[in-house]
Amino acid sequence: MGQSPNPDWMNQWQDLSRNYLNAWQTMSRNPAPMPGAAAPWHEGFEQWSRLFTSGGGAQNETIDRVIDSAKGYAAFMQSLLGAAGGGTGMPPWNELLRSGFGIPGVDAATFEHPMLRALRDMQGQAGQGFGNGFAQAFGALNSLRAVPPMPSADFGDLKAWLSLPAFGLMREHQEHYQKTAVAWVEYQEQMGRYNALMLKASQRGFELFEGKLSEREQPGRQIESLRALYDLWVDAAEEGYAEIALSQDFREVYAALVNAQMRVRAQIQQEVERVAVDLGMPTRSEIDSIGERLQALRREVRQRGAETAGKGLAREVASLRSELAALKASIGKETRSAPERAAETKPRPQPKPKIEPRIESKAEPKAKVVAIEPTPARAAAKHGKPRKAKRKGSAKRAVAATSTFASRIAKFADASLGAGRPHALRKDKKKQAKADKAKKKR
Amino acid sequence: MGPIKIEPAKAFEEVLTTQRKLAAALQTLREVDDVDFGVTDKEAVYREDKLVVYRFKGERPPTAKVPILIVYALVNRPYMVDLQDDRSLVKNLLAQGEDVYLIDWGYPDRADRWLTLDDYINGYIARSVDAVADRAGVDKINLLGICQGGAFSLCFAAMHPEKVRNLITMVTPVDFHTPENMLSNWTRQLDVDLFVDTLGNVPADLMNLCYLMLKPVRLNQQKYIGLVDILDDKAEMENFLRMEKWIFDSPDQAGEAFRQFIKDFYQGNKLVKGGLEIGGHEVHLGNITMPVLNVFAEQDHLVPPSASRVLGEHVGTEDYTQIAFRGGHIGIYVSGRAQREVPSAIHDWLAQRSR
Repeated sequence: MGQSPNPDWMNQWQDLSRNYLNAWQTMSRNPAPMPGAAAPWHEGFEQWSRLFTSGGGAQNETIDRVIDSAKGYAAFMQSLLGAAGGGTGMPPWNELLRSGFGIPGVDAATFEHPMLRALRDMQGQAGQGFGNGFAQAFGALNSLRAVPPMPSADFGDLKAWLSLPAFGLMREHQEHYQKTAVAWVEYQEQMGRYNALMLKASQRGFELFEGKLSEREQPGRQIESLRALYDLWVDAAEEGYAEIALSQDFREVYAALVNAQMRVRAQIQQEVERVAVDLGMPTRSEIDSIGERLQALRREVRQRGAETAGKGLAREVASLRSELAALKASIGKETRSAPERAAETKPRPQPKPKIEPRIESKAEPKAKVVAIEPTPARAAAKHGKPRKAKRKGSAKRAVAATSTFASRIAKFADASLGAGRPHALRKDKKKQAKADKAKKKR
Repeated sequence: MGPIKIEPAKAFEEVLTTQRKLAAALQTLREVDDVDFGVTDKEAVYREDKLVVYRFKGERPPTAKVPILIVYALVNRPYMVDLQDDRSLVKNLLAQGEDVYLIDWGYPDRADRWLTLDDYINGYIARSVDAVADRAGVDKINLLGICQGGAFSLCFAAMHPEKVRNLITMVTPVDFHTPENMLSNWTRQLDVDLFVDTLGNVPADLMNLCYLMLKPVRLNQQKYIGLVDILDDKAEMENFLRMEKWIFDSPDQAGEAFRQFIKDFYQGNKLVKGGLEIGGHEVHLGNITMPVLNVFAEQDHLVPPSASRVLGEHVGTEDYTQIAFRGGHIGIYVSGRAQREVPSAIHDWLAQRSR
């Protein structure tokens, strides 16, 4: 049915519902709690997974995420109903909650903890099958993956064993494998520390959940649906998690976990590179090296382009400097008395006073400006006429934009300086060649 | 009286109803076609490598003389600002008469592994700004930086104040060491050299899962359970899918730029502490003397408001305005209230400075 392009899911749903109803009635007759794994609720979502995951379509990824979430929610509802025992009267919810009947997240050891699960997903997705990649790359060390969680002291013993010196022809390879295995063990060690913090977050979440529940005891504020209870639990779980995730402990443990995973990845990459070299294939290091050189080359080309433009810019520097002088002259005019300003033929927009000191402090072009030969623009400025604006309306903005000229001048000066150097060098070389020629003749 | 008043029969009914609704939601999802986003007509005006600068076309020509260039973050796709017809910052700005351009960074690949912050800020952004200014026939343009793009815009404005007429930052981190900043806490002791040397470019999936882990239960589970509430509303379902697409449509991060961003911003907090150098240029926020509008979200879980609101203490301008928006990091673009409040606030602020 799941393979059908148009599954008759509603009929299947009705069948499932009938099964649930039967299960509920059976449970009502039997006061014993419903066993977790065999409960029909969870099975219902499993069946949905089979119904909906193989149909294709544009939203497959979203459907997968919805199904995953639905399973978690089903587990939540199942644990509540299971703990309630299936009777017809009002169950003792408060006692059940306080005795920790296994809401997901309340006890990470017994239930599917969403945070642990997210972390595992991160390993699987973002790590791009990190664990599997490791297994494929290091088949001989696969048995390590099956090592059950152990106390940190045992990790120490294992690491000591893996640090034994290697001998013989393949010594370097063996050392590499041992180092990789140590990195893997350290990663597991850090994962254990991380999981312990997640458990702490979970416990803190439950404490907060209890607090939130106690605020709901007044009539009218009571929780009357599973969904409302779930939402309240999510609020508490997130708050508990945030407390831990913002802690100094978490900062250290999280960084240690990520760093440990990176060390394992680096070890695997080295091994893959070695194999690639043996097979005569290009390696990632080689490709990266080419990329780095290419990027450096692109920067150099741009720089050279800017320098070439700088030769032309040197001329523009001169004209800009004269423009600056003209602007300074106009600022001088504006600082004159009001009657003097009123005598101006045309009112001009005034700069904000606070900008002026900045102009003075940043530009400092005085010495350079006086050294410049007069240009037509500068000569015009001398006669009180501002240089014609390069773009429409730029004269209006000219005063406020004085810092533009200052920084542009500095840039152009640098560029023209840089552009001059190779030229000067070429000149020196020519002179030297001429002298050498003359020497030879003699 | 206890806090829980759930009758078993009612609970059972609720379980069945929820399951039925979820099944129906899944069926609806199967039938919904792929969703579109980026609704406003636009033309490419500048291209370089994978970068494209777009100019958006409004229903009538812009009345603003100075264009706005939107600089989005590298970590997500920029179409969040033009997600759909009734949720579009771009469309609303155009309607107010603004002339809107946007940098689309594209999807970096291994060839972009060595791009540095200098390449991005003094290279790509600088040339995009020049291209927009040339096209508009002005010397300076308005820069609107969003999130990480806001941090880049601050750097750019500090290094090239002569090119920025007005600076607008939205949900932009400035102080990276405030206590509510979870991402900062997670990266402070990270060996970022080992991280980048090992991964090269930082995979988008890794970034996404990192963001999801900021609120793991809410973002990985509760959000999808909420689908039962919008099951019958096709438009709402499509809205949900658009957001879902956007969240998981992320580019990889160029390794060198990521390395420098984590070291200097998240770990060193140099934007406010000083000592930040990009491409040999010192970045000093005091050099930002143009008018600044800082918009941040009060319920932002990615960039806490405390990280943004300090901007006024560090910029050199005396014309500083800030707006605290009641919403989250994404809500500031897509919520109904955002559509009414944010674009008009930006437009009014700009209009006051164009007189």
